[in-house]
Amino acid sequence: MKVFLAALLFSAIVAVGLSILLDAIQEPSYVAFTTGGARVGNPGHNLVGPNG
Amino acid sequence: MASFGRFIRLAVGACAFLLIIAASVPCNAQQVNPTASSVKEQQLLQELNRIQGRVSIPDQRSGVLEQPAGRDWREFRNVTLRWIGGIAILGTIAVMVIFYLTRGMVRLESGRSGRTLVRFTAFERFVHWMTASCFIVLAISGLNITFGRPLLLPLVGFETFSEWSQWAKYAHNYLSFPFTIGVVLIFLMWIAGNIPNKVDVDWLKRGGGIVGHDHPPAYRFNAGQKAIYWIVVIGGGAVAVTGYALMFPFYLSGIEGMQLAQIVHSIVAVLFIAAMMAHIYIGTIGMEGAFDAMGTGEVDLNWAKEHHSLWVEEEQAKGHTPSGSTPRPIAAE
Repeated sequence: MKVFLAALLFSAIVAVGLSILLDAIQEPSYVAFTTGGARVGNPGHNLVGPNG
Repeated sequence: MASFGRFIRLAVGACAFLLIIAASVPCNAQQVNPTASSVKEQQLLQELNRIQGRVSIPDQRSGVLEQPAGRDWREFRNVTLRWIGGIAILGTIAVMVIFYLTRGMVRLESGRSGRTLVRFTAFERFVHWMTASCFIVLAISGLNITFGRPLLLPLVGFETFSEWSQWAKYAHNYLSFPFTIGVVLIFLMWIAGNIPNKVDVDWLKRGGGIVGHDHPPAYRFNAGQKAIYWIVVIGGGAVAVTGYALMFPFYLSGIEGMQLAQIVHSIVAVLFIAAMMAHIYIGTIGMEGAFDAMGTGEVDLNWAKEHHSLWVEEEQAKGHTPSGSTPRPIAAE
C-alpha cells in the first residue's frame, strides 16, 4: 500500500512540477508571434489568455 | 454650290459614323481572352493537393487555405476511430465476461503453502504502480476526447462536460510525463527477463494452461507476460512520441504530420486499453494468487511452482529461500 501511495504521490509531483516548468518556458501565441512588423495584440477576455 | 457643300458634309458625316460603328464592333480575327492560360483553382488543387499562398501574418500556417486531406482525417477522427475503439474495447469486455463465466478464476490447485517467495522488489512495484495509475487516468481522459462529446455530454450537460473535459485535458497532458518515465524504467528493469525463447513457444502451444489444468513451465515471465511487456514498451513508446508531437504542435511537422500523429496515437491507445483490460483481469479476478505479486511483492510458493516452476528453481539455486510460517498440515485425503 505504501509503495502504491508513493507512486501516486510521485506521479502528482512530476505532473505538477512539469506544468509549472512548461508554464514558465512557453509563451502565449500572441506574444510568440508578435514581430517588429506585425503587432498581435492581447486578446483579452475574448479568447482564453493567460488569466483565463 | 451650297447643296454640293451639304452633300459633302453629309458624306463625311456618314463615313465618320460608319467608321465609328466599324471600330466598335469586335473583330473576330483579333479577339484575345487575357485569362485563357492563367492557373485555375482546380488545377492548383490537383497539382499541389492544397490551396496555399503568401501571407504577411507572422504565423505562416495561415497561408494554407484548403487542405482536402483534412476532410479525410476528420472522417477518420469522427467516424472510423469511434468504430475501432468501440469494437476493440467493448469486444474485449465481452470476451472477458464470457471467459470468466465459463472458465472462472484459475485456481491454485495445490492450495496455499503459507510460505512465500519475493517476486518483485519495492522499486519494481513502485514503477509498475506509477505507470499503471497514470495509465488509468490517461485512458479515461483520452477516451473522453474521442467519445466524450457524443456519449457523456448528453448525460451531464454543457457546463459540467466543459469543466470535466478541461481538467481531463490537463491531467492527460501532464500525467503523460510520469507515464513515459515509467515506460522507460519498465523497459530497462525487465528487458533481461522478457526476451522470447523456446520455453515460450512450448508455453504458447499448451495455451499457457488457461484451458484445462495444464501447468506449462515458465521462467520469471511467461509468454503472455512477455507479450504484455512488449505491448507496453512499443505501444507506450508510440503513444508517447506521437503524444508529444501533438502536445507541441507543429514543432516537428506540418499539418499532415499532426494528422498522422493523431491517427497513430488514437489507434495505438485504444488497442493499448483493450490489452491492459485483459492484463488487469488476469492479475486480479482471473487468477488466484496473482495480485500478491504486485500487491505485497511476495507470492505463495505453491503458486510460484504451479505457474513459474523454472523461476522457482532459479531462485532456489541462488539461495533465495521461501519465508513465512512452516507449512500447514494438509488434511489427509
